[in-house]
Amino acid sequence: MSNAYLTYAAKRLGQAVVVILLAYIFTFVVVSILPGDPITSVLRNPQNGFTEQEIAEIIAAQGLDKPIIVQLWNALSGFLTGDLGMSMRSNRPVATLIAEVLPSTLILASAGLAVALVLALLVAYGTRFVPKKYGQGLLRGFPSLFLSVPNFVIGLMLIHIFGFQLGLFRVINPDSFWATFFAAIALGIPVSAQIAEVLIANLDKEAEQEYATVARSRGIGQARLFATHLLKPASLPVVTVVALTIGELLGGSLITETVYGRTGIGSLVQRSVSTQDLPVLQAVVSLGAVVFVLVNLIADLLYPLLDPRVKIVGGRKRSPTTADEPSIGATKAVAP
Amino acid sequence: MSFVSNPSLRGSGSASRFAAFRLPVTVALSLLIVTIVLAWSLAPSLFTSYSPVVGVPADKLLGPSFAHWFGTDHLGRDVYARVVYGTASSVTSALIAVVIGVLFGGLIGLISGFLGGWVDVIFARLVDVLLAIPKFLLAVIIVTAIGFETINAAIATGVSAVAIFARVTRAEVIKTRQATFVEAAFLSGGSRWFILWRHVLPNASRSILPLAVLQFGESILVIASLAFLGYGDPPPASDWGLLISIGKDYLKWPWLVYAPAFVTILTVLSVNRISRWLRKTD
Amino acid sequence: MTERSSLLSLSRRRLLVGASIAAALVATNAIDFSSALAADAPREGGDITFLIDSLGDTWIPNNSAISSFQGHIWGHVTDKLLYVDAEGKVSPWLVERWDQNDNATEFTLHLKSGVTFSDGEALDAKAVVANLDIWYAGRKNEGINPIGLFPKTYDRAEAVDGATVKVFFKKPTLGFIPTLGYHGSILVSPKSIAQPASEQADLSKTAGSGPYVVESWKEGDHVTLVKRKDYNWGPAAVGHTGPAFLDTITYKLVSEPSLRVASVQSGQADVAYNASPQELKSLKEEGFTVATPRYLGFVNGWAVNTKLPPYDDVKVRQALQAGVNRQEIIDTVYTPDWHLATSFIQSNVPGATDQSALLAYDPAKAEKLLDEAGWVKGANGIRSKDGKELALTIHSNPYLATSKSVDELIAQQLGKLGWKVVIRAYDVVTYGEKVKFGGAAVPTYEVTRSFIDAGTVAGILTNANNGENWFALDDRDTKINDLRDKIAGAGSLEERGPLLDDLQKHVLDQGYFIPRTQIVQRIYVQSPTLKGEVYNGVAYASYYTAFIAD
Repeated sequence: MSNAYLTYAAKRLGQAVVVILLAYIFTFVVVSILPGDPITSVLRNPQNGFTEQEIAEIIAAQGLDKPIIVQLWNALSGFLTGDLGMSMRSNRPVATLIAEVLPSTLILASAGLAVALVLALLVAYGTRFVPKKYGQGLLRGFPSLFLSVPNFVIGLMLIHIFGFQLGLFRVINPDSFWATFFAAIALGIPVSAQIAEVLIANLDKEAEQEYATVARSRGIGQARLFATHLLKPASLPVVTVVALTIGELLGGSLITETVYGRTGIGSLVQRSVSTQDLPVLQAVVSLGAVVFVLVNLIADLLYPLLDPRVKIVGGRKRSPTTADEPSIGATKAVAP
Repeated sequence: MSFVSNPSLRGSGSASRFAAFRLPVTVALSLLIVTIVLAWSLAPSLFTSYSPVVGVPADKLLGPSFAHWFGTDHLGRDVYARVVYGTASSVTSALIAVVIGVLFGGLIGLISGFLGGWVDVIFARLVDVLLAIPKFLLAVIIVTAIGFETINAAIATGVSAVAIFARVTRAEVIKTRQATFVEAAFLSGGSRWFILWRHVLPNASRSILPLAVLQFGESILVIASLAFLGYGDPPPASDWGLLISIGKDYLKWPWLVYAPAFVTILTVLSVNRISRWLRKTD
Repeated sequence: MTERSSLLSLSRRRLLVGASIAAALVATNAIDFSSALAADAPREGGDITFLIDSLGDTWIPNNSAISSFQGHIWGHVTDKLLYVDAEGKVSPWLVERWDQNDNATEFTLHLKSGVTFSDGEALDAKAVVANLDIWYAGRKNEGINPIGLFPKTYDRAEAVDGATVKVFFKKPTLGFIPTLGYHGSILVSPKSIAQPASEQADLSKTAGSGPYVVESWKEGDHVTLVKRKDYNWGPAAVGHTGPAFLDTITYKLVSEPSLRVASVQSGQADVAYNASPQELKSLKEEGFTVATPRYLGFVNGWAVNTKLPPYDDVKVRQALQAGVNRQEIIDTVYTPDWHLATSFIQSNVPGATDQSALLAYDPAKAEKLLDEAGWVKGANGIRSKDGKELALTIHSNPYLATSKSVDELIAQQLGKLGWKVVIRAYDVVTYGEKVKFGGAAVPTYEVTRSFIDAGTVAGILTNANNGENWFALDDRDTKINDLRDKIAGAGSLEERGPLLDDLQKHVLDQGYFIPRTQIVQRIYVQSPTLKGEVYNGVAYASYYTAFIAD
């Protein structure tokens, strides 16, 4: 490990901390614009029959009228010490709420990522080795198709075919294996498109390299050529893309969880949005940013170690497939 | 699934016939589809004689037929008419999202790439922050903050796309700045803003265009997703996402979901194909 | 003190048992009652899954008891002092009998003995006093709200002995007794009440005295209830007082209505809550039990803002009244399970009278009234007067799923008469902020509201005594204020009846309130093997008496 690398790592780490702090403040500002709050909305439910005067009294009793700056300071100092505050909607600690639903989302997101990777590999392999007349061109169109189908449509379709028509899983038990599997497919399909695009582009490039031609001339099998000679170099940039898709997985889980009735971060956000539960929204968005920044930090720090062709020059990374400035395809986000 | 019957994915073999026009057949089809969609949004009344708002309650939930191509909904309205009339709002909102992304993202990228130095550092962090928050989550939060309406969903989608446009523009600007002809222009004493206008901008816009087209397709999907979650216009609006969202409550009558979904998918697919083609011909 | 003889309450109770069983049977619309009664003796055991669209927000009992969602769980986990059935009849439950003084300012409640909370505490006079106090006052600074509908005239309650509670009011409060059977008035153990808000928000830490206890729960996911074996203090009115039959009830959140229904159809669950009305007909044909119980309260309809032009003109309001085709609403959006509105209160409320004649659909009359009021139809079909279009902005009620569809249909109906109708749909939070009775931009406020006693209605409509002034009349209509005062002062139901009839006639004739349909806020689709559930006065299904028949 060189000095240059350490300088680079320290710099990236510093940036990550700054970005997380800024993301927290940014979210706080946006969230503070929200017009209402859950306490008032419960009080205003006509079934409750509270008068305007009573509503005003109750709100005053809870001190919901402190200046924004004071609130930001309290929230930020809490966030830095690991205290995420109380949910205004459910009156329970935000940390408890998140801890309750996090495992479900982690399972869904990892399964979704696995589906995306497998699908991307299959499509990429197909574009190399499926003969032209059997639809290689068709396969090349797959990433584009995957990006064009809203994932709630995929989700609804899968539920109806496999949940109700074939009875493969019970809709009321969304955490079962098959229910999770199909939710992961709905979540993974759009994500796989980005990975497949980068993979195909890199495979095309690697296949033109001299060593691939040499390997092919030595009569090496297709699958082995793909696995040992093409995939490894082609998948390095994929590390970066996968890190970038973390955000898509989180965002996509919002819809997938709603469609499949899973209880996770996404459905927590949904419920919090509908009641404008600021502390929860603030916490979830900030955590999303933390996860994204950390994953990308790790990917960036690993990258130079994995790919010998990357040189760290003066604390900046220079690589043949610039990970710092991904191609359009790589940054292309997936609609959930 | 619709891709089996989708012509835009097939026929790379027959492309040679169109070689004279340098226009692959799939691109031609995509352009045709997009043209139809644009025509729907400009003059919906030319394409259907039914009203998208007033239906015949007695004719509710009829299946697709010659009289009603996409069937009728729970209030007896023609679904095809609702799709056609909903196009304007779907297309306009996606356009608004793209314009916001291109304008603000482009401006940030242009300034930070061109000026460099501390301006670049500040903007780079800002873009990092926007990139760090999952895009869809960001859109949901913003649309909650400014109100559940389609136009607000469009704004939210646009804001969440600013970071990407900023990044790409910045990269392009830096690339162009270092190009020999720009260096030459500097050496020959050209004004910074003139060089920006004359050399940097046209070059940068060449890679922005395909991205913008791609973003248009994505915006349709994101806005539809927001509508699906209930963050869209109130009835009787018939944006595609709203139609799918309403249709999901009537899954016994599947055309209510699949008709608007099919139109959405076909449109986005066409737009993506065009974007790809623009990138290749660049 | 007028002592209510226990004999009277006993005979009334017997009557009630019969009435409520009949009501339950009508409500469940079981496929074959006779065999259900004869052959299907309640069978012990079994587990059911109830699919629900939300599990609400907080679980602090005071803040959540009246929630349309959490009310289902509270109904099984907790008991009430009195029982109110679907017909609005009050009968004894944990209060065996009660006395009151002549001017209804002091009440004495005599409690059933041997009742315990699931945490072991006794449900005695002290526990009741603790509950009454927190219902009235809440703990506002902690975020524990008072019960909104609890009489604000409450002064204090005293435990006379272990089984007797004396309650004092500052002013006559006839509504106190029915309030005790209302969904807000759930009894939880004094230990639970003493807990801070953050502990109360954890459902598993709250102990009630109901036939079920919470076994497990997960926020936004499910609540599983398991039966309490030593329970034997059920309300006599439901015809059963021992332990429940079903072992467990699981309330599971499934937010898509079509998925809830499809799960019941495919046998994966037993009850689907809030199905789409469009699906009910075919579900019935497939043999599923469909229940559309009505709650006691106002019908679904509009309170018109009489301050906002052009609705300050009685002719325009009357045209609105005649221009709504209510039958078409039921035929298109709903099913025959929905009833035409016959007044502005539901027809099952004691005191409601049939005013159908005032609510007949008569487009010719509506057009004539609008012509007379000076609204002239333009070339585009929209009426205008002095350069202003005849506009109506409808704010869809976010608390009723079918509200938007009805709005769209009415917009079409009124459009034909020359109205320009705009529909606005806000989420619950924004709606609460922006849409209020008599609001500056709110010509019509859509009402969905249950109430305890028809006697309180007049007070709500006007501005007296913290009334809500629904029609923004202030003191401009002396007749309605006069009726309100007479109703409040009425000493008996016989005296009150004609006054209530006058009130209904007046409000509808003046076009203050435009009924849409009688409201069914809770729709249940149920597997045919599940039988014996009972619906109470606020249309909640209780599975305390339910069982699985094979």
